[in-house]
Amino acid sequence: MVTDAPRAAVRPSAPPAFTDAAIAGMDDVYRFARSLTRDPSDAEDVVQDTYLRAFRSWHTFQPETDIRRWLFTIARNVFLRSRERGQREVAVDDDQSALADAAQAQEAWVRGGLDSILDRTDLGPSITAALAELPESFRAVVVLVDIEDQPYEAAAEVLGIPIGTVRSRLFRGRKLMQHSLAQHARDAGLLSASPSRSSV
Amino acid sequence: MTHEQDQQLAGSAIDCDAALESLFDFLDGELDGSLELRLGAHVQQCGRCSSRADFERRFLAAVQAARTEERCPIALRERVVTTLRSEGLGA
Repeated sequence: MVTDAPRAAVRPSAPPAFTDAAIAGMDDVYRFARSLTRDPSDAEDVVQDTYLRAFRSWHTFQPETDIRRWLFTIARNVFLRSRERGQREVAVDDDQSALADAAQAQEAWVRGGLDSILDRTDLGPSITAALAELPESFRAVVVLVDIEDQPYEAAAEVLGIPIGTVRSRLFRGRKLMQHSLAQHARDAGLLSASPSRSSV
Repeated sequence: MTHEQDQQLAGSAIDCDAALESLFDFLDGELDGSLELRLGAHVQQCGRCSSRADFERRFLAAVQAARTEERCPIALRERVVTTLRSEGLGA
């Protein structure tokens, strides 16, 4: 393992701390890449390319900043470049906003149903499925904030969007997840009530 | 929440609409100290907001609990390291 390599063996031209600081974060980068791509093979490509780019630009990393944030930013850019969706994303987000609004219209039913099952220990697979179903622009924010514990400001930097957009996507993403989770729970027989059209 | 909204909330009593609008900011620890204290006090005293906060808090906890401890496959890790070594890592 490279992480076990003695520091003295690293030549001056190679970033001496790269093995310690960056390689250690590969689990986080892989998990983030999985959430972006929703495909194991694509995620591996993103991780591989992310680390290659990170290594080549290691000299630009500011030691006092969060290396996970830096790696997530690179991974996000690699993902966007691979999908060539940078330009399409805004339009997709606009479309999905209507979906989130529709989900909110059933919020009373969603909250009423989920309230009784949120503490179940077997809810994990349904939550994972609900997260995977989120549109990419919402999912990336939810993963960064709710899974990877990044503050709003970091999520904004990683995704290259204003912090207000992080807030709105996070809100809508969470509401969509709750709606999807309630549907999963209903389909699994955990909820018997039909959606009510009443709003909050 | 915009800076202007922050200022408005900081200078006036927090009602339920304002509290619910900023609920996720509150639960995520994204409010400044003064506003966080005031919103927290409102949530504590208001049954409706307290119920909503409890629900959202439990939802976020469930999402955290469901976080897969998925680790990077060993083969991928080795592949990455091999690639980086060819780029000069540890050479």
